[in-house]
Amino acid sequence: MNASKTIEKTLVASPERKLEADADLDIVRQVQAGDVAAFDRLIVKYRERVLGIIYNMTSNREDASDLTQDAFIKAFQSIHRFQGQASFFTWLYRIAVNSTLSHLRKNRLRSFFSLESIREEDPVSREVIDALTDRTGAGRDAFVRELQEKLNDAMQKLSINHRTVVTLFEIDGLSHQEIADIMECSVGTVRSRLHYAKQLLQAELQPYLPK
Amino acid sequence: MKRDTDRKITVEDLLRLKRAERPAAEFWATFESEIRAKQLSAIVNKRPWWDGISRIIWVVHRHPVPVGAAAALALAYMGVRYMGGPAGPAASNRANLAQPVAAATVAAPAARPVDRPAALPEGAGFAAREVTPVQEPVMAVSESHITKAPVTVANPSASRSPFADGIVITFSDVREPAPDYPQRSVFGSDNEFEPASTPARAPKADPLAGLDPAAERRARLLAPALPAYASGGSRAVASDWMKTKASSNERMYESMDQGPSDRMLVGFRF
Repeated sequence: MNASKTIEKTLVASPERKLEADADLDIVRQVQAGDVAAFDRLIVKYRERVLGIIYNMTSNREDASDLTQDAFIKAFQSIHRFQGQASFFTWLYRIAVNSTLSHLRKNRLRSFFSLESIREEDPVSREVIDALTDRTGAGRDAFVRELQEKLNDAMQKLSINHRTVVTLFEIDGLSHQEIADIMECSVGTVRSRLHYAKQLLQAELQPYLPK
Repeated sequence: MKRDTDRKITVEDLLRLKRAERPAAEFWATFESEIRAKQLSAIVNKRPWWDGISRIIWVVHRHPVPVGAAAALALAYMGVRYMGGPAGPAASNRANLAQPVAAATVAAPAARPVDRPAALPEGAGFAAREVTPVQEPVMAVSESHITKAPVTVANPSASRSPFADGIVITFSDVREPAPDYPQRSVFGSDNEFEPASTPARAPKADPLAGLDPAAERRARLLAPALPAYASGGSRAVASDWMKTKASSNERMYESMDQGPSDRMLVGFRF
């Protein structure tokens, strides 16, 4: 029963996501009718998630900021083409992911990373950090920074497609089907990439994983 | 590094840490202003020319069957329009342009009854013939393109001058078909303006036509050695030409008048 629920969760978008999609469609219709200010609501709603995806794909805060803005501007310019066959966020993610993939392919050799600070208000994050270190104060901050760098290093060692799948599934929490829609590939390809990427990450992050 | 035995850390847990990476609040203030500026410039700035092409490609990709059908129809129409046979609309348009328009233009002034002006003297050249109203288009009178040329001059929409009647008479005289001239095609020959009723000339015989070049050359080379070649039968036609030339030379020499001993007068006769 639990296994089937997990599979369903990874395959099918949640009902909340469908309600969200309907609400987005209403806003999109307003923008298409000429209400430019309505697009601001979509920006505010999705900017953090889009920035999070792009940041985890690029590991660079400045690039992530620029690419996020470009993704929203492209969506704004092309919103008259949006027909509502897919949800708005899938469409927006596709624009953002394609822009980021194009950027990464152009700047393949560039490796300048900048880190965001981890918010320890998130209970899961605090729990993980507590499990990894008993240091406090500056020592704890240094450990977290080192862990972030190791995570970014491990992510950057993945190929662009594997990194994208890991980012969309593990960090943004999208289902396999949604990832397949965004990346325009099959669900099987998404699963395969995800499995392979996790194996590589496990090998890279072995010092932080207790046996 | 602390190892908590109660909590097993997985790769997913480590990746969960990345979810918690969030930019500071001031970052969003900058982001807001930058995206606002970009949005405004996107509204104000004109779209690049290739954006129209990408939109067309998108439309074609989205509706391939109707667009393909429309393109096929357009291609078929263009093919019939520009490469089709005489049954095509272009051919009929050309035919319409060639005949009825010209006929109508000419017919209107010609159909007007033209009276001979009272002031015209009897026996004047152009009035010698009794002027009668021309009731049919000029195209029917004569098919020569020469007579079609001045059609626009006699346009009825133009204001008529006091000499208009005289001009019409003159044109009617000009357009009178020449009965002796044979009909010939418009682009038939180079001697278009040469009357065909010219007395038939006897066809000029080319004096060199009967010459055999090889025999001529052989005779010329062998003449000093073999006198028989000098008076060969093959030179019969050439001798006529030579005689003609010699007689003209003799005429020229005869015209040389022997004047005083210190000069010689030469006269040329043409």
